[in-house]
Amino acid sequence: MIQITNLEKFYRTEEVQTIALNKLSFEVKKGEFVAIMGPSGCGKSTLLNILGLLDDPDGGSFKFNGEEVAGYNERKRSELRKHNVGFVFQSFNLIDELTVFENVELPLIYTGVKPAERVKRVEEVLEKMQIMHRRNHFPQQLSGGQQQRVAVARAVVNNPKLILADEPTGNLDSTNGNEVMDLLIDLNEAGTTIIMVTHSEHDAKYSHRIIRMLDGQKVTENILI
Amino acid sequence: MFKNYLKIAFRNLLKNKVYSFINISGLAIGMAVTIMIGLWIVDELNFNNYFKDKAHIAQIYQSQEFNGVKGTGPAIPRPLEFALREGYKDNFKHIIMSSWTNSRYLKYGDKNINRNGNFMQEGAPDLLNLNIISGIKDGLKEKNSIMISEYTAKALFDSENPIGKIIKVNNQDDLVVTAVYETLPDNTSFNDTDFIIPWKHYITTQGWLMGTADQWGNNSFQLFVQINDNTTMDAVTAKIKDVKKNNDKDVAQFNPQLFLLPMKDWHLRSNFENGVQTGGRIENVWLFGVIGLFVLLLACINFINLSTARSEKRATEVGIRKSIGSNRGQLIFQFLSESFLVVFLSFVSAIAIVLLFLNGFNNLASKSIVFPWTSIQFWEISLLFVLFTAFIAGSYPALYLSSFNPVSVLKGTFKAGRFAALPRKILVVTQFTVSIALIIGTLVVMSQIQFSKDRPVGYNKEGLIQIPAMSTEFLGKADLMREQFIASGAAIEMSTSSSPTTEVWSNRAGYTWDGKPEGFQEDLAYTSVSYEFIETLGIKLIAGRGFSREFASDSNAVILNSTAVKYMGIQDPIGKYMRDADTENPEPPLIIVGIVEDMVVQSPYSPVKQAMYVFDSDQNASYYNLRLNPKNSVSQNLELIEKVFKNNFPNLPFDYQFVDQEYADKFRSEERVASLAKVFTGLAIFISCLGLFGLAAFVAEQRTKEIGVRKILGASVKNLWMLLSKDFIILVIISLLIASPIAYYIMSHWLQKFSYRTNISWDIFAIACSGALIITIITVSFQAIKAATSNPVDSLRTE
Repeated sequence: MIQITNLEKFYRTEEVQTIALNKLSFEVKKGEFVAIMGPSGCGKSTLLNILGLLDDPDGGSFKFNGEEVAGYNERKRSELRKHNVGFVFQSFNLIDELTVFENVELPLIYTGVKPAERVKRVEEVLEKMQIMHRRNHFPQQLSGGQQQRVAVARAVVNNPKLILADEPTGNLDSTNGNEVMDLLIDLNEAGTTIIMVTHSEHDAKYSHRIIRMLDGQKVTENILI
Repeated sequence: MFKNYLKIAFRNLLKNKVYSFINISGLAIGMAVTIMIGLWIVDELNFNNYFKDKAHIAQIYQSQEFNGVKGTGPAIPRPLEFALREGYKDNFKHIIMSSWTNSRYLKYGDKNINRNGNFMQEGAPDLLNLNIISGIKDGLKEKNSIMISEYTAKALFDSENPIGKIIKVNNQDDLVVTAVYETLPDNTSFNDTDFIIPWKHYITTQGWLMGTADQWGNNSFQLFVQINDNTTMDAVTAKIKDVKKNNDKDVAQFNPQLFLLPMKDWHLRSNFENGVQTGGRIENVWLFGVIGLFVLLLACINFINLSTARSEKRATEVGIRKSIGSNRGQLIFQFLSESFLVVFLSFVSAIAIVLLFLNGFNNLASKSIVFPWTSIQFWEISLLFVLFTAFIAGSYPALYLSSFNPVSVLKGTFKAGRFAALPRKILVVTQFTVSIALIIGTLVVMSQIQFSKDRPVGYNKEGLIQIPAMSTEFLGKADLMREQFIASGAAIEMSTSSSPTTEVWSNRAGYTWDGKPEGFQEDLAYTSVSYEFIETLGIKLIAGRGFSREFASDSNAVILNSTAVKYMGIQDPIGKYMRDADTENPEPPLIIVGIVEDMVVQSPYSPVKQAMYVFDSDQNASYYNLRLNPKNSVSQNLELIEKVFKNNFPNLPFDYQFVDQEYADKFRSEERVASLAKVFTGLAIFISCLGLFGLAAFVAEQRTKEIGVRKILGASVKNLWMLLSKDFIILVIISLLIASPIAYYIMSHWLQKFSYRTNISWDIFAIACSGALIITIITVSFQAIKAATSNPVDSLRTE
């Protein structure tokens, strides 16, 4: 599903150029659950942003479902992203001014789903995430765990082929963290490909494969199952 | 999608009440100002639209040259009518002679009212497309008829049917009411024509009109025309321009050029300088149009500044939306919808403000504008106005906010760049530049008005009244009345004049005198006055004497003002003669008996015109001038004067004017501009300060942590106040430096239109600068001191 070859990304300031990704190559197959680990600054999040089509690589190749997407413009990336990718962030990133229901509904609005269908699908996913009773609450009225459930619900409501999770349990206690990981496992078992960036060895063990990075390069790859 | 955007926008508005209030109230005020100015401009541009044939109606004007300087005006001689009818009638649908608009007493039963009206030829009701309420449209056919406005009909007849009733005009002529027409609206040139009497009546009953039918040099009339549909104003002008010149050799020396001034120009473009049309009220239309747009721009700047200043708060939302599939175009649309919502709410508030203040505005602007609820065009333009404002206010924030990189936003590393505040600073400088320029402009207008008001007028206008004395009943009674008024103790002196003290009604040319330069074409203001004219008005005599009962020869005497002496170039004028030149029946020569100081009679902004005062031996004046007895109160004097008046003229209503008030009226137009400018400037400053207040609140909020740390390290409230206020004060100082030369340039140009004008002194800039700085400091200090006096522990906890 994802094939990156010699992927490069640089960050430039006035004085120095930092290499965030250094000729990185790997592949993720459809239905896989891959964890990416490494110390801070090793390029994990940069990689995730490129994989999520939020950012553009400076060199190398990035094929998504066999299609070369490196060099796509903003409009094309956004089009591909909204139909194929769901994000789960460490800090949840819900819109404070929208209710739980409205937050989850948002991706469906952007993909042009009809209102009646939207209600049905949002309710389904909220039921699944066991957060239906909070549908009219605003994010700040929810606990961290509940907020992350909403974020996961929002990530999956469009049935994306790929979920990118950036430290999804980083702001949660262990109980809530485990619950979120269970949700991701369920989604993966239902066929969704998941790539998760994490610092937590515990969380990484839920995945099929762990890619470890250092200074923008892959250093090891452990296959768990 | 749109619903979702509006929902977010609404919730954001409710969440940030202070910013919402600043944005909506600022925009509402700005929009209200723009709407009111818009209504005013439409009223000005629609002036005379009441007349169906506006596009084809014109007034005949003429330019004449006096010593190389062209004077232009609407006064024309009577024979022009005959010449046009004879040689050019194919060009016209109507040729209508008219008198000037004058007041007359209209009496019916025991009601005696004073109304303005005109004497006009038969076609006038058709030319003006009068809406006849009762009676006949051909109501000017019979010599002894009168057409009256509905307003006049109500006052005279109440519910009675006026048609066929007889009105006594000026207590002498019995005229039959033939029609009642709809009162002409305020925004027409004939808004004070409340009656029309046939021209035939005018020329057969007014003694002074005898002989005018062939006097090409007597420019005492008006001529209105309606051109045929198949021709143009320019084409007709080209044909008739030399008619006067070609018909009379005496007037040809002044090179009279006739032209048609189209009705659409009467109100807005009736100023001429040396024969060239230079504008008029249209300048005010432009001026206020520009001010309106500026005030709106200032309010839009508030919106732009507060939206972008608070961008970090919206950045996360932008990042999330982008990550879940929104493209930039959708985000731009979202933020534009938000600005549309704010602008729409502001528009609704603006309408409420307009409704609330429209009466006051009408009083200030001397208008009778009605809110156009039922005008579809108004609402269509309003919709465009809302969209335009939303676009102006919302496009920069939309472009800016939608440009955020989702990666850095979601990573939490987003910080507005080092130069992110620069556009805001530029906009604040723009706001204050406009506001300060408006302050300086308003101060210059006010100082020019004051300067002209302080101008010595050459006579004592305080304690002086004038009584209109145009009815034939007054004829020959001036001396008798003078005796009685003085005997009553109400007046200490009285004289008469052929025009009011504050106006020139007549000009004369065609004299010769010793030493008159070859080819000199004089143009003298002409007033006939009675014996005690100088004493009554308190004019300073420079040489010679006033008219005196001791000199029987004074019936052929003349007094000149000092400008006339210089103008005519007469050395030792006393005892010299002015002779009627080149006429078949010359009047006896006039002997110069006195020279008086210049009196400001016409525009207080212009140089005094050369004037001659001749003796009115017939006691046929238009005005009685009375110097009130200073020992009595004004009301006592007026009571006594009315008593004397009523004893002598029981059938005439007692009417009088204070000369100082009449003089003050000359400033009305400029004062109106000044009053409106004051209001708009005040609002511009208020809107700018509102924005500054919001920005100061934002900066204080943004620097909460810094303030806390500085306080813990020992900063005093004064230090912190300086820290937070400094940046804003610098911006206002930059604005002052930009606004001052711009305002100086524009206002110097504005002052050029006044011959008698003030200088733009440094203290105007000092007042504007210190005013702007004080207002800024007060506005910013509120937030700065609030932040500086807060508990540092609280500020640090907010991180």
